Amino acid sequence: MKTYPIILLALVSLFMHACIQDDFVDDEVDPILRINESIDSLEINTSYQYEATYLNNVGSPESVDIVWSSSDSEIIEMTEDGLATAKAEGSATITASFDDGNRALEATNLVHVGDNTTIVEQASIMGFIETTTFYDLEGDFIYEETETGTRLSFADNYVASAGLPGLYIYLSNNRNSIANALEIGGVETFSGAHSYEIPDVGLMDYQFIVYFCKPFNVKVGDGEF
Amino acid sequence: MKNTITSLLIVFVAYGSALAGGPWPQLKGNGYFKLSEWWTVFDQHYTDQGLIDPNLTTGIYNTSLYAEYGITNRFTTIVNFPFLSRNYVNNLRSGTTGDIIVAGDAINTIGDIDLGLKLGLTKPGASVPVALTLFLGVPTGTDIAGAEGNLQTGDGEFNQMLQLDAGKGFNLGKTSAYLSAYTAFNHRTKGFSEEFRYGLEFGLGLLSEKLWTTAKLNVVESLKNGDTAENTTNTSIFANNSEFSSIELGLNYYVSSNFGISASVAGAIRGEIIAAAPSYSVGIFYDMK
Repeated sequence: MKTYPIILLALVSLFMHACIQDDFVDDEVDPILRINESIDSLEINTSYQYEATYLNNVGSPESVDIVWSSSDSEIIEMTEDGLATAKAEGSATITASFDDGNRALEATNLVHVGDNTTIVEQASIMGFIETTTFYDLEGDFIYEETETGTRLSFADNYVASAGLPGLYIYLSNNRNSIANALEIGGVETFSGAHSYEIPDVGLMDYQFIVYFCKPFNVKVGDGEF
Repeated sequence: MKNTITSLLIVFVAYGSALAGGPWPQLKGNGYFKLSEWWTVFDQHYTDQGLIDPNLTTGIYNTSLYAEYGITNRFTTIVNFPFLSRNYVNNLRSGTTGDIIVAGDAINTIGDIDLGLKLGLTKPGASVPVALTLFLGVPTGTDIAGAEGNLQTGDGEFNQMLQLDAGKGFNLGKTSAYLSAYTAFNHRTKGFSEEFRYGLEFGLGLLSEKLWTTAKLNVVESLKNGDTAENTTNTSIFANNSEFSSIELGLNYYVSSNFGISASVAGAIRGEIIAAAPSYSVGIFYDMK
């Protein structure tokens, strides 16, 4: 009978040792550098302030020292802060560059100096989402700019499994992670056309749509812009 | 509406006592009492299509008291009380930076209590005993907890299950054995799917019936009439309409004429919306006869 207290202690010990541990997700991506808003042309004798975003190896924005340069300083002159000034008619390539120690990253913008300044407009992006699990998820989408932000519209062929609880949709710069992602909201439509209005977001701010199951904490599917 | 792996897998504990239960009510004044620890830790699950997908590692631990007591030779009361129930999920960390993406979480409460009343439909000692049992699932556990609302130690609904058991004891040579079968209907509330259940249990008494080895098949067939994500925003671990077939293997060893220790392992061999990992149970029991 002396063994029973030991067994009891073992039971309690077993319970108490059920501690929270760590699961890891493979979220490494190639860092990228991108110019936030490119221009087609720059009016002569005017200036345009460039901005660029560096996304690190997990797709998170990170402040870095970007080097700005012009392929022809006599046509477009660049300051180290990214201010471009059109000096003469012609064309020049503006380059933003950053070396993170492992690789040199560049983003370029071919600019014509002319009578006016025009910003590159990309009205919409088409793509498709697909499942990365055994839960149904697929459909075509259009991602477009609106006056207040963006709109993500899914086509009639969209379908998502209703058997999975807590399915959420995100915009992210890492297709395997929702860290630093923008949560659009819980999925409430599981088939057919529907759309999401996303305020205060630019068309090029994110690279991926990510469907994520909160209760399971796993990605269910994704789409690329 | 919510449904949990907790509530579903508790089936293994509540109704899985190899030396008690079945079609054999306790005789008047007799009883069976068991203190056990049941747990499962899983990082994958069966999807709604019956295929296996990963999930963040989740653990469920129940420390329970199970009791049967014979009021008369025909009526037996049953209680399963998980007085300590723990549900946790791991941290989700970046494999690149090590940063926490989603913080882990845990709750410790009591679980859902199951109450039962078994009626022997045949006289004690019948060659093929038959019994009818009414189980009531009392939602004493916590059905929504944690930052994401996905932790739970109960399902939050009051269910009623009617179960019919039949069995037969016999000898295999000089070895005692028994075979029993059950079928049940589980009526559930609050948008949960109802269930048809059935199973078989085979037991073999070795070492002069000091050691009982058991093998059990449990099947839960969902009527698939519960809520889904289309009509609920609940983020419980599992949606409704879960079902499974499981195999359970157990050992029960009588240390003395009344006291014993038990251990079992169970796991789903097919399923939908349920963990794809084994569950374990160890315990001590007192067979009052």
